[in-house]
Amino acid sequence: MKHIKVVAKSTICRDKHTGCGECQSSCQSACKTSCTVGNQSCEQQKINRNEKVDER
Amino acid sequence: MIHTFDCLGHSFLLDVESGSVFIVDSLTKALVENLNSPVDYSRGEFSRYTTEEIEEAKSELDELIKEGVLDSAEPEHKKAEYNGVIKAMCLNISHMCNLRCEYCFADGGSYSGKMMNMSYEVAKKAIDFLIEKSGHRRNLEVDFFGGEPLLNLDVVKQTVAYARSIEKEKNKNFRFTITTNAVLLDDETIDFFNEEMYNVVLSIDGRKEVHNCVRKTATGEGSYDLAMQNALKFKQKRVGQYYIRGTYTALNKDFSKDVLYLNDCGFDQISIEPVVLPDTHRLALKKSDIPELIAEYETLVKEYFERRKTDKWFNFFHFMIDVYHGPCETKRLVGCGAGNEYVAVAPNGDIFPCHQFDGDGNYKLGNVLEGTFDTTLPEHFAKNNLLCKEDCRKCWAKYYCSGGCAANAIHYCGDINKPYKMTCELMRKRIECAIAVNSLENLK
Ligand code: SF4
Ligand code: SF4
Repeated sequence: MKHIKVVAKSTICRDKHTGCGECQSSCQSACKTSCTVGNQSCEQQKINRNEKVDER
Repeated sequence: MIHTFDCLGHSFLLDVESGSVFIVDSLTKALVENLNSPVDYSRGEFSRYTTEEIEEAKSELDELIKEGVLDSAEPEHKKAEYNGVIKAMCLNISHMCNLRCEYCFADGGSYSGKMMNMSYEVAKKAIDFLIEKSGHRRNLEVDFFGGEPLLNLDVVKQTVAYARSIEKEKNKNFRFTITTNAVLLDDETIDFFNEEMYNVVLSIDGRKEVHNCVRKTATGEGSYDLAMQNALKFKQKRVGQYYIRGTYTALNKDFSKDVLYLNDCGFDQISIEPVVLPDTHRLALKKSDIPELIAEYETLVKEYFERRKTDKWFNFFHFMIDVYHGPCETKRLVGCGAGNEYVAVAPNGDIFPCHQFDGDGNYKLGNVLEGTFDTTLPEHFAKNNLLCKEDCRKCWAKYYCSGGCAANAIHYCGDINKPYKMTCELMRKRIECAIAVNSLENLK
């Protein structure tokens, strides 16, 4: 495309296997170890990426 | 819903419901901004373009809309349910503190109550409670918090040893984190952190004069020299995650200088966050400060983006968003999970929805020593997720912010479902910066 560069498509995963809750909790207050959920990665995808297994 | 914004010299589109991100030229951005209104293409900004150019950009947009990655509709969401599972716990290991930071919500560590350390007995019971409530979840998080946790280091060590001694048999994996002001951080403690702490958060506010102005010892002296000296030693020896985190207030609205100063000191994991205080407090950030603070984030993101191409690369916590592999929708709806999958335990064993409620009798959920836990409030917290917050549902940042901090909503707006607007605008600005940085760095 000439006018549009695609960065990422459909990244909010609504797959039925999601919601396992294994990812880090995400307090946004100024005194804690993490903040918005946005800066977190899906734990399943991390495992999949590390193990190079993409199918779920 | 599509959000358009400019950052770092580029124009971006965020398709809110799908999470798709695009970089576009100014013509395409203008077309999107007028997507649902009748437009005369011979007038205004469109008059600069030829009919062919406009048609070409429109057809590219149509292609994405057809594909369902632009202007996508809000899907049906899973209903928020309370399942009683707790996966993370803040252990308020000490209500004592060796500092008297002026903005501390914990009131010098005391949380407006009795200054006390948590006993090993309480900590052990809290670990048992967490395991018992964690269901099938394997990864359990325990954050040692205070006051100043190093004032009760022996109990921290005993608690870690206890949890480690049973985690295999219980099929759990504990991730310990600790937040400290670094004043008492010595070599032995650094070694212990390297062995056991998944993440360590050191509180330093930035430049010496900024830090010393609000972070004083009990005798009124600035704590910067000690904290910084120990933090630098820590950084040299650290194996694993850490953050230098600070708070900016009305006294340092030029906080980008503090972020960059910390980077110049040699730190590469930095988080400086806005203070949240009642308007009457001398350090409080006010609504009228917002334009200045937004401009400050703009200054910071430019320098941040440049430094990340050099050997001064660093992470600024609020500019980190994983555009590609972020959390699933369920997580984005639930957010911090306070009072639901996350609880805080006070030194006397009382359980609260999170550390910000510690000491507030209205929010006491139970007590680990007494073995009590009332699920009325946890159910309330679980059910009031992002989808119950009317303002948030209309907000483009909702899937990155998750509806904000429940404690702030309750304490400052009197309602868990009313976002604390003061932080919203800053949150939205930071998310734009984060999406821009992440997109530009990963663009092939
Ligand atoms: S309610 Fe606020 S302070 Fe408490 S865990 Fe959630 S984001 Fe953090
Ligand atoms: S808390 Fe504010 S920024 Fe966050 S989703 Fe709600 S309205 Fe948006």
